[in-house]
Amino acid sequence: MPKIFRAACLLLLCGAVTAATKPPAAPRVPGADQVKSTTLANGMKVIVWTDRDIPNIALYNWVRVGSRNEVPGITGLAHFFEHMMFNGTSTRAPGEFDRTMEAQGGSNNAFTSDDVTVYQDWIPRSALDLVFDLEGDRLANLSFDPQVIESERGVVYSERRLRTEDSNEGFLYEQLQATAFVAHPYQNPTIGWPADIQGWKLEDLQKFYKTHYAPNNCTLILVGDIGAEEGFALAKKYLEPIPRQEPPPPVRTTEPEQMGEKRVYVERPASTPLLMYAYKSPAANDPLGPAINLLMTVMTEGNSSRLHRLLVEDKKIAIQVSGGFQEGFDPMLSYLSLTLPEGANPADVEKVLDTALDEVVSKGVTDAELARAKNQFAATFWKQLATINGKANLLGQFDVFEGDYRKLFDAPAQYEKVTREDVLKAAALVFQKKRRTVGVLTSPVASAASDDIASDDTASDKGGATP
Amino acid sequence: MKRFTSFVAALLLGVVIAHSAAAADAQSSEKSTSAGVKVPAHQRFVLPNGLAIVLVPKKDVPMIAFSGFVRGGSLADPADKPGVASLVAGLLDRGAGKRSAFEFADALEGVGGTFAATAGAESIGVNGQFLARDRALMIELLADALLRPKLDAQEFESYRAREIEFIKSAKDSDPSQIVGTYGRAALFGTHPYGRPQGGSERSLAAISLADVKAYHGQNFGPNNATLVFAGDLDARWMRQALTAAFGNWAKVSLPPRQLAAAPRVTGRRVWLIDSPGAVQTYFWLGNVGVDRRYSGRPALDLVNTLYGGRFTSILNTELRIKSGLSYGASSRFTRGSTPGEFAIRSFTQTDNTVKALDLALETLGQLKHGSLAPEMLESSRSYVLGQFPLQLETAAHWAATLSDLEFFGLGKDYIEDYGPALLKVDLAETAAVTADAFPRADDLVMVLIGDAAKIREGVAKYGQVTEFKLSDTDFAPATK
Repeated sequence: MPKIFRAACLLLLCGAVTAATKPPAAPRVPGADQVKSTTLANGMKVIVWTDRDIPNIALYNWVRVGSRNEVPGITGLAHFFEHMMFNGTSTRAPGEFDRTMEAQGGSNNAFTSDDVTVYQDWIPRSALDLVFDLEGDRLANLSFDPQVIESERGVVYSERRLRTEDSNEGFLYEQLQATAFVAHPYQNPTIGWPADIQGWKLEDLQKFYKTHYAPNNCTLILVGDIGAEEGFALAKKYLEPIPRQEPPPPVRTTEPEQMGEKRVYVERPASTPLLMYAYKSPAANDPLGPAINLLMTVMTEGNSSRLHRLLVEDKKIAIQVSGGFQEGFDPMLSYLSLTLPEGANPADVEKVLDTALDEVVSKGVTDAELARAKNQFAATFWKQLATINGKANLLGQFDVFEGDYRKLFDAPAQYEKVTREDVLKAAALVFQKKRRTVGVLTSPVASAASDDIASDDTASDKGGATP
Repeated sequence: MKRFTSFVAALLLGVVIAHSAAAADAQSSEKSTSAGVKVPAHQRFVLPNGLAIVLVPKKDVPMIAFSGFVRGGSLADPADKPGVASLVAGLLDRGAGKRSAFEFADALEGVGGTFAATAGAESIGVNGQFLARDRALMIELLADALLRPKLDAQEFESYRAREIEFIKSAKDSDPSQIVGTYGRAALFGTHPYGRPQGGSERSLAAISLADVKAYHGQNFGPNNATLVFAGDLDARWMRQALTAAFGNWAKVSLPPRQLAAAPRVTGRRVWLIDSPGAVQTYFWLGNVGVDRRYSGRPALDLVNTLYGGRFTSILNTELRIKSGLSYGASSRFTRGSTPGEFAIRSFTQTDNTVKALDLALETLGQLKHGSLAPEMLESSRSYVLGQFPLQLETAAHWAATLSDLEFFGLGKDYIEDYGPALLKVDLAETAAVTADAFPRADDLVMVLIGDAAKIREGVAKYGQVTEFKLSDTDFAPATK
């Protein structure tokens, strides 16, 4: 389930607030006044948060490109490209990026989502110059060795097998997302469809680089043992010379309004059937965002959450419930994901789940539930702020998705302000049957019945049978 | 994702898709220290009933983290019923003190707190975090969970049933998550390190509530436990509150528990776990390694970093970077009171199984027979030193680290002397630990989860093959 819990991550990142029942006002974020930003002449934004607790620095480069920017034939290319960013430039051989960074005490990683690609370096102070040099080099001079492309294709396919093809959860989620969107590129799996993984070409990579890897499409975040002026000077030296480019074309397609429930069934060997709902939801910067996050927390976060209590503890018809609001540049999804015990009938579970969702749409949540959700957000928010890593993540999330990193510091107040009425509004907006896609994964149905898998009775009667 | 943190963590946290999965995992919290890392000032005291408590004031965010343990874990499980400790751990917060399971969850989550208890090889570990203002409730809930869990019959039944389903679910969705459980079973056999820490489908089904209650009664006592608190705390207030909450905890009389070191295996044997239709083979190659007090620790960490502990490691270079056979390959040493396992882990497309295994074995052979280039030693040293502070950044990190030191009876020199020791490691020492701690490629337990019909023949060359099914209800072949 690569992407499924992304929402949960974003939730963590955007979480906020202190108690609703207990009065203390949302505390100020310590060190907020230490954050400084500038924009280089080539349009790259640089944000520095000085935090000298440990002698290390987290450097995050947020590039505004993800699987949302792909078209048929090159699905998965944003992610493949991310891999290729470690594989050589006109001045450095493939592998040198990692070898030199590790030899100076640094480590790195990167991730790709529907919306963004983020490059992360964790380094001791002593490696600052080197890392700026490496980052500037791959933004300016990336080159593609045909042999390395072939070998990296194998790596990415192996990643797909791990996350999707050998995983029921990953497999169903891919189908669910692809079914939910008929037009918008959010239908693309970030890992890419197999034929595209096998098919993309050197020219595709070159074009992608030219289009999306412009300094004016990046936000650079530095957190840790570094001063703002020091960070700006290094950025000027190593990154400012990279020329600005034509901004990438905006994603043109908007998803047409969904006018009825959609369903996708997957038959794969499974002991534990799966049931997932995906509801069309607003974009990340929607004013109702905090209310939707709090709603999803009330429903699915922790053993006291509504759906866990109902489905797992009371009725015992699920062994696990999770969910979240996936926040993207464009309207995305809120999802609910249930793992069912062996032999369970997904259709029966759906009925119970639907009743619970109808109830929250009509009656909303209680004061206690709302207070609990706010406190869960507050605790998560502070845990994030305890590391240079978490700070770099939060700054990037807010700057890239909300348009201004300073909104991070308002987040506690924004969440504190959410009322029961807001949550009711969020529930009514999100939990609309006609705007949802339902995904069901069960073991293949035994012979005779198998031609009509879509009929609940046949599908679910044998749904949980073990092979 | 570029590196392996754990695949599972990556999956669950859904950080989407990243460049790799490798190295970070190998740098466990026990690891490296930057030359200048100092253990923060803290106070340690022991209550009259024997409970050791450590307080670490560390003001940063307004939270308090705790970490601790009750000795036991798999080691205290009945030999024929692995998983009792794990069920005890899971039931601690499912009704405790005056609260039902729901009331406990509601009180905990109502203030944004967390509590987790997990059974490991030699203890049940607890950890959690609360907003500092909720410190009184934190102590109340923690004391209830440890001292007064209800161990209610209905909760037991439903939790046990769910744990069995979770194992099935992991088989459905994440074979890489469970390959190590099979690996330890194959390597350690009847030694407690070989027991599945969470139990198996079969063993969990055989456990009764009486087993759970007996475990709690025998093992949960102050003289068998340690608690560490770190964060935005007032040590005087904490000491008073903790003394009140835990001072009356009754001692347990401890059964003598001697753990013998497991022997290293010689020769090779193979467990092939059949997962029909799997498109990759997930493999684990291991032997018995070293214990927590291994004197060559700094040198060993440097060598393992180079062999399988970071992205450019020999293993990841061969299996991923140069060949594209896998998304990642890594190695690590697990170090307990007695020697735990050294294990190589990776996975590859079914058709490439033999190719990838041959390559992994070849790298181990090269490591054992070759010599380390001086610049590689320097690179590893810089890497381990450079990354260490990131693992000791937060109050939660320090709580976990100090709890770990307490468990193994290690002093703060384990942290503070480590950096200087890394600086002194030379090629003679790395050669010595390579010879001593890493297995020969001919001496390995090999565990493969994959489509047996397609790989059975190819892997027979590695040694005696024992085959059973992923759907079997134990993590080991059935005994007659």
